[in-house]
Amino acid sequence: MNLALYRSMMKTHARTLFGYVSGIVLYQWLVIWIFPTIADNPNINELINSMPEGMRKAFGIEGGLNELTDYLANEFYGLLFVLILMIYSVMTAIQLVARLIDRGSMSYLLATSVSRSQVAVTQALVLISGLLLIALSSTVGGIAGVEWFVPERHTFETAAFVQINLMGMLLFLVIGGYSFLFSCLFNDEKRALAAAAGLTVLFYAADLVGKLSSDLDWLQNVTVFTLYRPAEIAQGTVEILPTAIGLAIAAVVLFVGSVTVFQKRDLPL
Amino acid sequence: MIQVTGLEKRFGNGRGIFDLNFQVKQGEVYGYLGPNGAGKSTTIRHLMGFLKPSRGHARIGGLDCWRDAAEVQKKVGYLPGEIAFLDGINGAEFLDLLAGMRGLKSKARREELIERFQFDSKTPIRKMSKGMKQKVGLVAAFMHDPAVLILDEPTSGLDPLMQKLFVELLLEEKEKGTTILISSHMFQEIERTADRVGIIKDGVLIAEENVHDLQARQKRIIEVTLASAAEADRLAQSGLAVADRHGNRVGIAVQGEYQHLFQTLGGYAITGVDVRTLDLEELFMHYYDRNDHMGGKEGVR
Repeated sequence: MNLALYRSMMKTHARTLFGYVSGIVLYQWLVIWIFPTIADNPNINELINSMPEGMRKAFGIEGGLNELTDYLANEFYGLLFVLILMIYSVMTAIQLVARLIDRGSMSYLLATSVSRSQVAVTQALVLISGLLLIALSSTVGGIAGVEWFVPERHTFETAAFVQINLMGMLLFLVIGGYSFLFSCLFNDEKRALAAAAGLTVLFYAADLVGKLSSDLDWLQNVTVFTLYRPAEIAQGTVEILPTAIGLAIAAVVLFVGSVTVFQKRDLPL
Repeated sequence: MIQVTGLEKRFGNGRGIFDLNFQVKQGEVYGYLGPNGAGKSTTIRHLMGFLKPSRGHARIGGLDCWRDAAEVQKKVGYLPGEIAFLDGINGAEFLDLLAGMRGLKSKARREELIERFQFDSKTPIRKMSKGMKQKVGLVAAFMHDPAVLILDEPTSGLDPLMQKLFVELLLEEKEKGTTILISSHMFQEIERTADRVGIIKDGVLIAEENVHDLQARQKRIIEVTLASAAEADRLAQSGLAVADRHGNRVGIAVQGEYQHLFQTLGGYAITGVDVRTLDLEELFMHYYDRNDHMGGKEGVR
């Protein structure tokens, strides 16, 4: 990797990253802050129990909402965290390579005698650093938020909460990884974006439909989102280690593949 | 210093560059001329290691431009034809980044160039005019004192004063022994600096000429304004090659025989003279025609 490039990229990227980090932390605090109100209200849990099981499953609220870790896993990590990070991973991955190729700025970077693989590795590290920072902020922010906003009588499973964040980060390293691969593969920024965003939306839809309909539950076998189950982690019903290792390997393969592709291809600069 | 041997790149649409061969010696300035879309930039992309040749080689300083791209680029200063810097930073930060990536410590040459081109490097890139961006690009290409300069249409966007400055800069580099390749679609842009000219059309190098020979052979139109229509009539009958005539103005086509032209003109009442330079197509008509007659690869249009 090239330090000068990394520093400059992180600097221009800092403002966007700060936006995502503060958005995630603030929203998470809001969710945590209203938890005591919901948990202490018996009507809401009755309402949830009256919903059909498939629907509860699709929304990830089969565990009810009176346990803090479950609640956070469902209300935050099940939806908003995923949506925000989907946007972040795809957009950032595309901006870091495909946009520079499309606009031609890549030619200046490559003309500086820094090798292609070094440029690609540096750009990948910018994306990975961003995802790491977001996951770290939501972990620390979440734990601090619980400390501040939730009365002591509610239990909070810190270990499970950290695991959820870890799995979320690994999932998005994979999503960021294939987005980065598309970014390295296409000349056209729009085409790269369409491929990365399209695949991600498809994966997400497959996961959602698979959960909703028992006839179509095979769809869950074709989407990467299956490997990320915040509600189950909160309930302590899954062993995350094999999945975590699998996701990490997939991410490494994708990023290494991207660098190789970028190294060998023709660039229309 | 620069060596292109049998270089070939075929694109899907039948375009590309075909069996290019040329060399640029150390300290030589090579003008690479051709109309838009002829393959100039494609050749340069091979020299910069952005494209992998379908066949043949591009070498700089003996190193292969594709395989050893990073090593080659240590010696090369490059000005891309398209100006596209990074978003969200100013000129100075951009130059800092490129200098940092090169591991360049001294800022002396860079400051000197900014001083000469007279621009405020702290201007955000998105607020820069095209000419100003071109200056930033030139500083980026020259600031590490490269042994080889590859400039893709360098003077586009520069005002005449800056063009003059640029020519001076190039002549200084030439003095230092820098090897330079400049691409252009205008002969005028390079005739003051280049030693030799290679002419490319439809991906084929159709001619290589010494600049002085080319200048001597170049046809120009001397436009003479005469005192009266009668004088103009008389000039039109004088036996000079009249290219066109509008009232008192007579355009005379000249190719080398200036002596004869001025001797003849001495006998007329002349109120104005203008020189019209021909565009590339006209200038190289000679080559294009010859190529067609030869029935070569480009014979069928």
